[in-house]
Amino acid sequence: MGVLVFISVLLVAACGLIYELVAGTLASYLVGDSVFQFSTIIGTYLFAMGIGSALSRYINRGLANRFVWIELLLGVVGGFSSTLLMLAFAFTQGFELILYALVVVMGVLVGLEIPLLMRIVKHRYQFRDVIAHVLTFDYLGALGASLLFPILLVPRLGLVRSAMLFGLINAAVAFWSTYLFANQLSRTRELRVACLLVLFGLGTGIAEAKHITATAEDNIYADEIIFARDTPYQHLVLTRFKDDLRLFLNSHLQFSSRDEYRYHEALVHPGLAAVPAPRRVLILGGGDGLAVREILKYPQVESITLVDLDPEMTKIFSSNPMLTRLNDNSLLSPRVHVINSDAFPWVASNADSFDFIVADFPDPTNYSLGKLYTTAFYRAVARHLSAQGFIVVQSTSPMFARDSFWCIAETLKQSGLQTYPYHVYVPSFGEWGFVLAGTHDYALPKSLPAGLRFLSVDGLSALFQFPPDMAPLPMPANHLNSQVLVRTYENDWKDISH
Amino acid sequence: MKLGRRKFLGLGSAALAGLSLKSEQKIKGSFVNDSFQMGHLLRDRAAFPAAKHIEKVPVVIVGGGIAGLSAAWRFRKRGFTDFVLLEMNPQAGGNARWGENEVTAYPWAAHYVPVPGPKAIYVRELFEDLGVLKDGQWEERYLAFSPQERLFLYGRWQEGIEPAVGLKQNDRDQFQRLENLFSEFRRSGAFTIPLELGLSSKFQHLDRLSFSDWLRQQGLDSRLLHWYVNYACRDDYGALASDTSAWAGIHYFSSREPEEKGPLTWPEGNGWITRRLLERVGANIRTGQMVHRIAQTRRGASVFAGDVEFQSEFVIFAAPMFLAPYLLENFPPLHDFAYSPWLTANLTLERYPDSRGAEPSWDTVFLDSPTLGYVDAMHQSLRTHIDRTVWTFYWALSEGAPAQNRRLLLEKDWTYWKEAILHDLERVHSDIRQCVSRIDIMRMGHAMIRPAVGSIFSEERRRLSRLDGRILFANSDLSGISIFEEAQFHGVEAAQKVHKKLHG
Repeated sequence: MGVLVFISVLLVAACGLIYELVAGTLASYLVGDSVFQFSTIIGTYLFAMGIGSALSRYINRGLANRFVWIELLLGVVGGFSSTLLMLAFAFTQGFELILYALVVVMGVLVGLEIPLLMRIVKHRYQFRDVIAHVLTFDYLGALGASLLFPILLVPRLGLVRSAMLFGLINAAVAFWSTYLFANQLSRTRELRVACLLVLFGLGTGIAEAKHITATAEDNIYADEIIFARDTPYQHLVLTRFKDDLRLFLNSHLQFSSRDEYRYHEALVHPGLAAVPAPRRVLILGGGDGLAVREILKYPQVESITLVDLDPEMTKIFSSNPMLTRLNDNSLLSPRVHVINSDAFPWVASNADSFDFIVADFPDPTNYSLGKLYTTAFYRAVARHLSAQGFIVVQSTSPMFARDSFWCIAETLKQSGLQTYPYHVYVPSFGEWGFVLAGTHDYALPKSLPAGLRFLSVDGLSALFQFPPDMAPLPMPANHLNSQVLVRTYENDWKDISH
Repeated sequence: MKLGRRKFLGLGSAALAGLSLKSEQKIKGSFVNDSFQMGHLLRDRAAFPAAKHIEKVPVVIVGGGIAGLSAAWRFRKRGFTDFVLLEMNPQAGGNARWGENEVTAYPWAAHYVPVPGPKAIYVRELFEDLGVLKDGQWEERYLAFSPQERLFLYGRWQEGIEPAVGLKQNDRDQFQRLENLFSEFRRSGAFTIPLELGLSSKFQHLDRLSFSDWLRQQGLDSRLLHWYVNYACRDDYGALASDTSAWAGIHYFSSREPEEKGPLTWPEGNGWITRRLLERVGANIRTGQMVHRIAQTRRGASVFAGDVEFQSEFVIFAAPMFLAPYLLENFPPLHDFAYSPWLTANLTLERYPDSRGAEPSWDTVFLDSPTLGYVDAMHQSLRTHIDRTVWTFYWALSEGAPAQNRRLLLEKDWTYWKEAILHDLERVHSDIRQCVSRIDIMRMGHAMIRPAVGSIFSEERRRLSRLDGRILFANSDLSGISIFEEAQFHGVEAAQKVHKKLHG
């Protein structure tokens, strides 16, 4: 029996340390400044343990009963501590208050454990043996927990489930204590039922933990997250609300299934329908296959080359049923060739010629993406253009980022191209702009493919009219060695967000 | 900022694993391109084999740095191919050598050329040849991409190397006054590249005092200003401002128009130019050929390399000047040629270190570091997604006497320098040891000519550059400053003189 008591000490000590580490780690992740978080949390926790130890002297009767209840309480509070903290961060303003309150509660409970346990077993051993054994196993447990936590628990289980697992261990210690100290207990059956309830609750928690993390992250996005993945290139999130499917790349909205047809029809048809006999088309970016879907409406197009950096992206848009329904299985068409490659080096090294080229990249939010909006890039792209061809470039919003839009237009112009800027209204984006460019004059197409939901031949000319609040501004071109666009874009959005 | 929290959690656990188990990646590497052993053979007048073979060739170029390669380029452009270029090292290029690994090509020394001004006609001609300058337009892919330079100071980053943060009004005024002085010198037309075209005795007095003394004479004593000009002198001359001629210091700032365009650069730095030159003149080059004697003969000069005697009509000596007394018979010892010792290192990074919010730049400098910072070889990549890279780390050993620093270079082992480099980088990139997988180090005892006080207007230098006999000198040492344009200028000029004598 002695051994079992000391194993309990070991486990209890491990649990105590884990709760402390969980609190410190979560605070570092969520609030940052890990040195400060760990220092203050460890300090508060140890101080609270001192309070617990001090309080232990006021417990004079029913030591074993009280011990079991404390273990159970600790199992619940500690076990759900990380869940509570994550939800507190996602849904409340008072994360720090809840954090330190929780640390104090756990510290007090942990501080009570060992003094009580020592007093429970003191009549079985000499005083010096009790001290030596209990403290030895206490510190051993702490060592074990401190090693397990970073090596196994955090990487394998994550913080939510790690805390629950140790809550479960606390509850298990409570449960077997009802057998271990049976001769010192009263109302044993009641205690055992409570133990089983807590064990069941924590077990369920572990099984359902995934949803808890997702719920916390869900709050960042308005709608339910149905898919989230970190690829080597980007953070990809898909959300759904009723029939509205939204794709976010690095938390920037890429499309909403409710109005993406407006964007993709406008991206493709004004240019492609104006090319007399388009046979070969190139898409740079656009791994969602939605522009491809529009291009496949031209039976004379024989081949579509899609160059997108991220294989994950083109893979899920060729395999996920929800997404292939959206892009009409466009990426699986035999006319489509998907190449997962970085666009600029590909364009610079490839020699093929195309009748229509789509550049559909994320907005120029950093210097890396900014390279794809430079004169050097457009000159390299223009070399792939057949005599009758056009390039279309997604060019951010002429309304919200007016300087940036006209900077892109000027960049295309200084790359030796004639430019034809236009814009459409996409409800989920707002006013959105494109620049069509080529080496010859552009005339509005006389016909469009059948079955379009937004564009009509009559409506086309209106797209090319810019009202005064989006009218052209004199802007410098964007070069690799200046990257004025990245700075311009940052300023444009700074002006309207906060 | 409530975005991507899951990613945040993922990163956090990595950081935590780092907290509990600080595992340093095993960093491999060695010294590379050591050449002092050969230099010491010459210095110690070691015995070399007697000539067993004779080769007759009208012209021999000694040295395959930019000066020698440029002479070869000029010859071949004129249709003259009857020459050999002898290079001591296994790889030509000198201070424009490069290396390459599975990540990228990278420079071993010089890594950029400023956009040449109108007077640098040979450089412009070369760049037209190489497709860098087309119809008056500089090829955009060869101009340093933005963001170009950043300085780490007071725990934060700023764009550009001239300190712009934490300046007092007095500092600002002094920077402005200095800029005004440089503009005046620029307008005088006496500070040109190539240097020889503008050299005027009107400013000879500036060669008689050090740059830092001259600054103090002008009442310029701002600490940040002195840091900045010291950085410039260490970067271009390998010397502190107090060891640099004021004339040369002024030349650095006043010889070029302040323009936003440049500089021109490539992943392998000026190694890119070397590669293009080798494509054009490689057939005439013999590497691993250590010249150990050059002797005047009645009808020209003989060059001895290994066991071959090259009997030639003309020799273009394009090796560094300090070798001349050891190679040329009856050559008097030199007095006005001092050299700066350098160390460069190429660090292979498996990932970029945490940059505290700043995007990687082409050139990174730390305020108050004894080193010169590093250049990112992948910066000129067209890719949008870059994971691994190579950094070229520059360190001119400018504090103290060059001879002492040369000894230090030789005495200390690779681990010592590796640690010194990592310590410097750790000041800013605390996780650098987890990013670096390899550090190769190149030691150069005589890396570049040093424009010491009195060296620009030195009689000795002017006499040697005017020599017009059977042996001609061609290297940037003749200008007193070690820059690409000067080396190329002297190489081309020497080739033109020789060509004229051969073909009238």
